[in-house]
Amino acid sequence: MNDILVTAMGILTGLGLGKDETLQSLINQNSAIGELKHLNTIHSSLPVSEVRLSDKDMLSLLNYNPQNPLTRTTLLGMLALREALEQAKIDKDTPKRIAFISGTTVGGMEKNEEFYLEFFQNNSKDEYISLHDCAASTQDIADYFGGFDFITTISTACSSAANAIILGANLIKAGYVDIAVVGGTECLSKFHLNGFNTLMILDKEACKPFDKNRQGLNLGEGAAYIVLEGMESAKERGVEPICKLSGYANTCDAFHQTASSPDGQGAFLSMKRALEDSGLSAEDIDYINAHGTGTDNNDSSEASAIKRVFGENPPYVSSTKSFTGHTTSAAGSVESVISILALKNNFIPANLNFKTPMEDVDLVPAQRTIQLPNIKHIMTNSFGFGGNDSSCIFSKII
Amino acid sequence: MAIYIQSISQISIQEPLCDNWFESPIYHRQRYVSSIEPNYKQYINPMSSRRMGRILKRAVTTSLNVLQGRKGNEIDAIITATGLGCIENTEKFLYSMLENNETLLTPTYFIQSTHNTISSQIALELKCNNYNSTYVHRGISFESALFDAFLQFKLNKITNALVGAHDEMTKDMFTLYDKIGYWKKGDICVETLRKSETLGSFSGEVAVSSFLSNEKNEDSICSLAGMNILHKPTKEKLEETLKRLLEENNLTLSDIDAVLVGHSGDKENDEVYSKTKENLFNDIPFVWYKHLFGESFSMSGLGFYIGATCLKKNIIPKHLVFDSPKEILNPKHILIYNHFQNSEHSFILLSKC
Repeated sequence: MNDILVTAMGILTGLGLGKDETLQSLINQNSAIGELKHLNTIHSSLPVSEVRLSDKDMLSLLNYNPQNPLTRTTLLGMLALREALEQAKIDKDTPKRIAFISGTTVGGMEKNEEFYLEFFQNNSKDEYISLHDCAASTQDIADYFGGFDFITTISTACSSAANAIILGANLIKAGYVDIAVVGGTECLSKFHLNGFNTLMILDKEACKPFDKNRQGLNLGEGAAYIVLEGMESAKERGVEPICKLSGYANTCDAFHQTASSPDGQGAFLSMKRALEDSGLSAEDIDYINAHGTGTDNNDSSEASAIKRVFGENPPYVSSTKSFTGHTTSAAGSVESVISILALKNNFIPANLNFKTPMEDVDLVPAQRTIQLPNIKHIMTNSFGFGGNDSSCIFSKII
Repeated sequence: MAIYIQSISQISIQEPLCDNWFESPIYHRQRYVSSIEPNYKQYINPMSSRRMGRILKRAVTTSLNVLQGRKGNEIDAIITATGLGCIENTEKFLYSMLENNETLLTPTYFIQSTHNTISSQIALELKCNNYNSTYVHRGISFESALFDAFLQFKLNKITNALVGAHDEMTKDMFTLYDKIGYWKKGDICVETLRKSETLGSFSGEVAVSSFLSNEKNEDSICSLAGMNILHKPTKEKLEETLKRLLEENNLTLSDIDAVLVGHSGDKENDEVYSKTKENLFNDIPFVWYKHLFGESFSMSGLGFYIGATCLKKNIIPKHLVFDSPKEILNPKHILIYNHFQNSEHSFILLSKC
């Protein structure tokens, strides 16, 4: 009755533009992690998953000649959102109350870091000043498409997009909107590449989530949005639901600003409460799309938490960050789209580059694409700095 | 499902952690004013205090002040609004990166540069594992955070929430926003702000924490009777939303004692309020506060505090009343109407309980 349906989605990552390219890459085990091309940094030897399109390419794909400059975060978001809105048959005249909720953290930093010193020297780059904050991308994306009745921006670091999903679902359940378009967008910036680098959590090779010899994460960039809608609205508009969002939870590890607690208390609670919210039991979950960054700390902590929730024989687990890199604020929606593709197409995406099991926690991820007869329920985890942990469960509609 | 404001506290450019502005407000003349810092020792031990930037100290202090000993998982949700986040640390890391061409960097400032550092730090101090989120949408950041809590109360997901609004203003950010017309060019005074003949306002800082609960007791200050946020609403849509908000509470427009608005002295900003007054509010008195507190992305958090304080004290003091120099006695319902650049509009209805 009160089901929150997913009626459309759009995605852009290093794997490609759109659901089809993403699905093919996942099934064929083609990772997007490779060399840096667009970001101008001295750390260009670090592997990343960059979107292959330049800003110019994206503007031309959008057939858009904006009056004011746009950030790369904004352009990524526009392309991902366009795919979602087209599939959902939503345009600016759709007679429904529609929310747009976007997660981002770095905001316009990628332009800011380029022009920051110049801002104080002359006026030539002043039009970039207002692009610095997080809301700039949300506002520019909303203006480009039009038709939204409510917009806001969430920033909980790497769980931002997952929390956008949660707010969207609550808005529909409480009856304030009919449709919520939710997700996140984030481009690479020198700022966070250097930030993660100072924390010494970037792997110099392709990341190896849940492997004993993992050395850290690879950053990625991208955007993804999903369209949430109540049954009544979907029926009325004649759109076919893809699956439902059957449960979700947001918790806080409250342990450290950047490190996760050894027993993964925040992660444990977010998975447990998402299950409670969905009314499902641990045995019902067929696959966990892990946060699985590839850092020593996250993977041990998350694996411990998975064991605490799911027992000694957990369902299939994999981290698709071995394909997309860590798309930070967009990760929650990027991995939700990947999870929904897996749910719909009945496969477990591989956890690439895994060789040796960890010693401290006994958890072996799926190492290749596994086709299954019928996947019913999938959980996806998004954890962020500050211990902001969120889990979402997507289920087939029976 | 009623929601009560149990406690609310501020650190701003008025006297901190008290309501002194109510009787004797400070009228600032400078266009860049920093918050008056309280003595933090009572709330944060000096060891942790040294590691925290100004915004974190203020956020932790106002939070502990309103929680009055509640801690850990007694708190169901911690939700923060911040337009620019921990901008001081962001700048420090950015400068260091640019000056040393991406070398010689240390992680300290990066770790405390993200917007969610604030909500997380509060959760760390309290050891609270429950719901934790951060809203960063410019002038509607605070309403977004409050709306998140409001929806969760409505859906019976939470029984209480700590909702805050926190923004600091650095010299650099002041300079940059000055370049794009956020601030007035010379010194300011109440009369120039009232008349709104030019663009821009003056810069203040915000730290507001409120503790909300679904249980009414002797501490309850007022109730959060309803709210809504709209993106680029038409005149009709705004009217319809207000009408529904009033109907849900069995009220009519004549029951509203005052409309608290974000009139800031910025000509374009203030014209939107005047127009909405003509369209929707007619003779209901406008009440303002930015002439005392300045402008900042999450400033409407202070508006929320001011509305609640007036209901608690049963009076809206003369110096807040915009239209006529007369105090408003025994207000029962205050409507907070805020907009940001005529794009985002919001209503928050506060009622005496």
